[in-house]
Amino acid sequence: MTTALQAEALGSRLPPLLVAAERVAATVAQGVHGRRRVGQGDSFWQYRPFVAGDTASRIDWRQSARADRAFIRETEWEAAQTVALWRDGGPAMRWRSKAAPVEKMERAELLLLALASLLLRAGEQVRLIAPGARALSGRVGVERLALQLAGSNDDGVPPDVVLPRHARVVLIGDMLSPLDQIQTAIGRMASIPVIGHVLQVLDPAEASLPYAGRIRFEGLGDATHALVPRVEGVRAEYTERLAAQQQGLAAICGAAGWGFATHRTDHPPESALLALYMALAPDVRR
Amino acid sequence: MSHIAFAAPWILLTLPALPLLWWLLRVTPPAAKREVFPAVRLLLGLTATAETPAHTPLWLLALRMLAAGLVIVGLAQPVLDAGREIGGTGPVLLVIDDGWAAARDWPLRMAAAQSALDRAERAGRPVALLTTAPGPDAVQPAPSAVMPVADLRPRLAALRPKPWSTDRAAAEATLRGWPNASVVYIGDGLAGAPEFGPRLALIGPVEERDDPEPPVLMLPPISRADRLVARVLSTPAPAPRDVAILAQSGDGRSLARVVARIPADGNEASADIRLPPELRNRLARLVVEGPPTAAGIALLDERWRRRPVGLVAGQATAAEAPLTGQLFYLDRALAPFAELRQGDVKTLLSRELSVLVLADHVVADGPEFGLLDDFVRKGGTLVRFAGPGMAEHPDALLPVKLIEGDRQLGGAMSWTQPPGLAEFDASSPFAGLSVPSEVKITRQVLAAPGSIQLTQVPGQLPNDPVWARLADGTPLVTQATRGAGRIVLFHVTANADWSDLPLSGLFVDMLRRLVEQAAGVAGTDADTTPLRPAETLDGFGQSGAPPPAAIAVAASAIAATVASPRHPPGLYGPEAGRRVLNLGQGISSLAAAGTVPGARQNTLGADAQERPIAPFLIAAALALFAIDLLVSLRLRGLWLRPALLALVLLASPARAQSSDNPNPALTTRLAYFVTDDSEVDAVAQSGLLGLSDYVNRRTNAALGPPAPVRPGTDDLSFYPLIYWPISTSAAVPSGAAVQALNDYMAHGGIILIDTRNGGSGEGFAPGTDAALARFGAGLAVPTLAPLTSAHVLARSFYLLEDFPGRYAGDTVWVQRDQDRSNDSVSPVIIGGHDWVAAWAIDAQGRNPYATLPGGARQRTLAYRFGVNLVMYALTGNYKGDQVHVPALLERLGQ
Repeated sequence: MTTALQAEALGSRLPPLLVAAERVAATVAQGVHGRRRVGQGDSFWQYRPFVAGDTASRIDWRQSARADRAFIRETEWEAAQTVALWRDGGPAMRWRSKAAPVEKMERAELLLLALASLLLRAGEQVRLIAPGARALSGRVGVERLALQLAGSNDDGVPPDVVLPRHARVVLIGDMLSPLDQIQTAIGRMASIPVIGHVLQVLDPAEASLPYAGRIRFEGLGDATHALVPRVEGVRAEYTERLAAQQQGLAAICGAAGWGFATHRTDHPPESALLALYMALAPDVRR
Repeated sequence: MSHIAFAAPWILLTLPALPLLWWLLRVTPPAAKREVFPAVRLLLGLTATAETPAHTPLWLLALRMLAAGLVIVGLAQPVLDAGREIGGTGPVLLVIDDGWAAARDWPLRMAAAQSALDRAERAGRPVALLTTAPGPDAVQPAPSAVMPVADLRPRLAALRPKPWSTDRAAAEATLRGWPNASVVYIGDGLAGAPEFGPRLALIGPVEERDDPEPPVLMLPPISRADRLVARVLSTPAPAPRDVAILAQSGDGRSLARVVARIPADGNEASADIRLPPELRNRLARLVVEGPPTAAGIALLDERWRRRPVGLVAGQATAAEAPLTGQLFYLDRALAPFAELRQGDVKTLLSRELSVLVLADHVVADGPEFGLLDDFVRKGGTLVRFAGPGMAEHPDALLPVKLIEGDRQLGGAMSWTQPPGLAEFDASSPFAGLSVPSEVKITRQVLAAPGSIQLTQVPGQLPNDPVWARLADGTPLVTQATRGAGRIVLFHVTANADWSDLPLSGLFVDMLRRLVEQAAGVAGTDADTTPLRPAETLDGFGQSGAPPPAAIAVAASAIAATVASPRHPPGLYGPEAGRRVLNLGQGISSLAAAGTVPGARQNTLGADAQERPIAPFLIAAALALFAIDLLVSLRLRGLWLRPALLALVLLASPARAQSSDNPNPALTTRLAYFVTDDSEVDAVAQSGLLGLSDYVNRRTNAALGPPAPVRPGTDDLSFYPLIYWPISTSAAVPSGAAVQALNDYMAHGGIILIDTRNGGSGEGFAPGTDAALARFGAGLAVPTLAPLTSAHVLARSFYLLEDFPGRYAGDTVWVQRDQDRSNDSVSPVIIGGHDWVAAWAIDAQGRNPYATLPGGARQRTLAYRFGVNLVMYALTGNYKGDQVHVPALLERLGQ
């Protein structure tokens, strides 16, 4: 398939996704406020009296003319930061159960693009965790990101790419790979160092195993299969294992100083996005 | 006593294999459903630990084992209530009495035989069949070859009872030297050859199935003067029995039913059947009520029919005079048992006549002679009485040549005493009648000497020309056959002038014998004409083509012939002169058979029907398997909601679709012609709805909602009344529509044509008069006259003086009253009162159109006119006479 055709195919697919991402992002953006800290930025934050040590160039003369004292205009801190995004592109993500409205992949991409949109609006830079990916900014960043996203389909864990130090990382995927693989990947990133957030996107069927009877479960992409004679009997055990996986993930993330959250595809994406976005913001209470 | 036998017991050997099946079922888990699941890695370790509960549940296992067991037991073909084993060894000889006595409960006998075959088959023993009655091809009974049961079954199925007796003596002869065997004997309960039973006992152990109910044999009835005596014969039984006998005509209708009571330990009974001569002559058979059998049928032929007798007197004027008339005594003597007709010869012979009695009637040469001669030669019996006329003019229609004049015996001037009668010869039909001594003959005509000759046919009784003689040997009654008939001459008068004979009871008996003799039609005595079998009865009394072995029987011998394969009971002879051969005529007594010595007795029909239960077991197993299938689906997670849904869908009855165009034949409804002017149509619809509602409330008529119709397209014949609002915008009716309208009017339909402009001077509906003229050009409208209060339409429910609608005052036109076509019911009513507008109601039941000039009274009258119209349409001229009530009352002087 030629690039043009790929682009065309992508173009036909992207706009709805982008529109959906923008819509989700817009919903969330209204609930997000500034950093509420003094810093480098465009928006006005406060006036403060001139103290010794401040450079004279920072005096806001217009405000100072109204009073006897000289004031310095402080802007809100707006630090443009690079957020590296990644979503699991493996075949296991391209699946949904009967109870789920969308595939996990679709939901993951939606969240990723919406988050990117939010971040770009906030002036941050985003990039994909993919070989050769570059930081993007501005309004067109989302579309470029979407195009790049179509070419990225690494399975299970993010690839090993060079990330800027102190960048933020967001990993979205089902995170059902063995914990040591995930730990290796996260540990490698944490050593850069970057901090980040892991969002586990699960299908409701994966969360609750709603099957019954004798079933041969077949994996996606590989020949792995499991014959379960009575699914009802193993449901509790499966739930335990899933919980163990999630606890393991949480522990890995906690050790690296990362955040961890889960999301089910039958839940609305907005809440997950908001949580993700809030988690990316520096915690003022900390 | 019910016990179970297995037709294929070796299959039960597989029952011990059930535990193996149990084990197999337990180790084999149900087939897995496939499901794609990304988180399969988390499930990987779980399979081994969870395999144990995946075993088939114990109760399901038990269900499957039960189903498998049912299949095995079912395949072994268990039989409930199986009969007892046949004793002894070797082949089984099945002996069946298939004579006439077996027909009554033949199904029971067949069931018993089948049961014996079943048992023999289970025991694996070969069977031979012996039927004791000669076969239809007249072969003597002989046992069949010993053969497997399966080969014998078709033979048994083809077995039918025979309409003749068994021949156990011949059967016994064939059994001599029969090898050692077991015998099952299904007897008919009639005594036969005494050595038959012991012969069976010699062969081996005998199981005898006997019939608790003795057979009933219908004997040929005895024809009495005023009745038919039906006789039945049976074997003696300890309790009295009632046998119902039906007297049936040739077309199978029962004309009488009588009950003969066989007394206890008696074997014969009779019952009188009294019927008017006409009905009695139509009897074709007497049938014992119950299962049809050859033994229960006595066929009747001419011998049992009453014969019409014609009486002709020489002097017709005084013939009926009491005590002296020539026909007085004949009439009295014959009337109880014969149908008497009087008249002249020509009139009498124009109808069927059996016996013609001429009392001193001199036969003139010419047409009368020819008629009488023809009558006799065709088989009629001519009975003549002498008299003065005959003594003067003896004619040619006499059995003997007469000496002219008469002979006076005794009297004042004679030495001789009037002689009495001699005893009747044995060859005379009067033989056996007692001769009263007081009968004296005073005058008679004399036969010419030498004219009486004895005709003798070799091997038969002499056909004696003299049937009665005086004590001195003078012939008193002479006869001669002529052609197929016979002429009998009484040498005395039919009244008491010449003798005392008509005064005695002997006269009645002689006449009756004569008439009975006449019933025998063509010379029964000596007629050796072979009678070909025409229709014969089978063992069940069904008549059909004669079997190939049936041969003709001589007419003279048919009355004494015993039914046999050569001569099966039935109808013999040509179409015109059918004679019957009855099964009962050769049998005079019946005796009950003794039991076979040493036999195991078993009453016929007493044992319960063998019931193979294999189908039920297999069906139960299938049902269990079906349950198992559903359960398995459930266990595999294939929830059966779709299946249940399909079941429910299948089970739910298809609802009858409520059609927009319901069957117009189901309800009476008014109709209106669609004008395609929506406003006019809406008014017509609501108006007829209002009228129907009003009619339903006020009268017994039940009208459905009105129907819009289009002439030529819709079938108009369902509607009693069609309203036709004339609209200028409507199209002129097509040829087909005009044809449909004319047909409708010609066949009793009524069309109410409304120009809707009456009283308004075309103000509201301009141009409709012209439109009506245009539309009605092709209609066959009768001559019209103004509708008056004298018309039925003004009387059919309410008494009306005028007929307003929305408007009033215009003339309404109907068919002229003088026009009697169509029952005086006018096929068309033409007016302009816009009635539907007056009748119309809206959804709230209000009248949306005001009446002009107005008032509630006008609307009421409009409705009443509508009711009258509907009644007129429904009842026609039924109320026509009501119109004339004033005139009738006036005529009555009220």
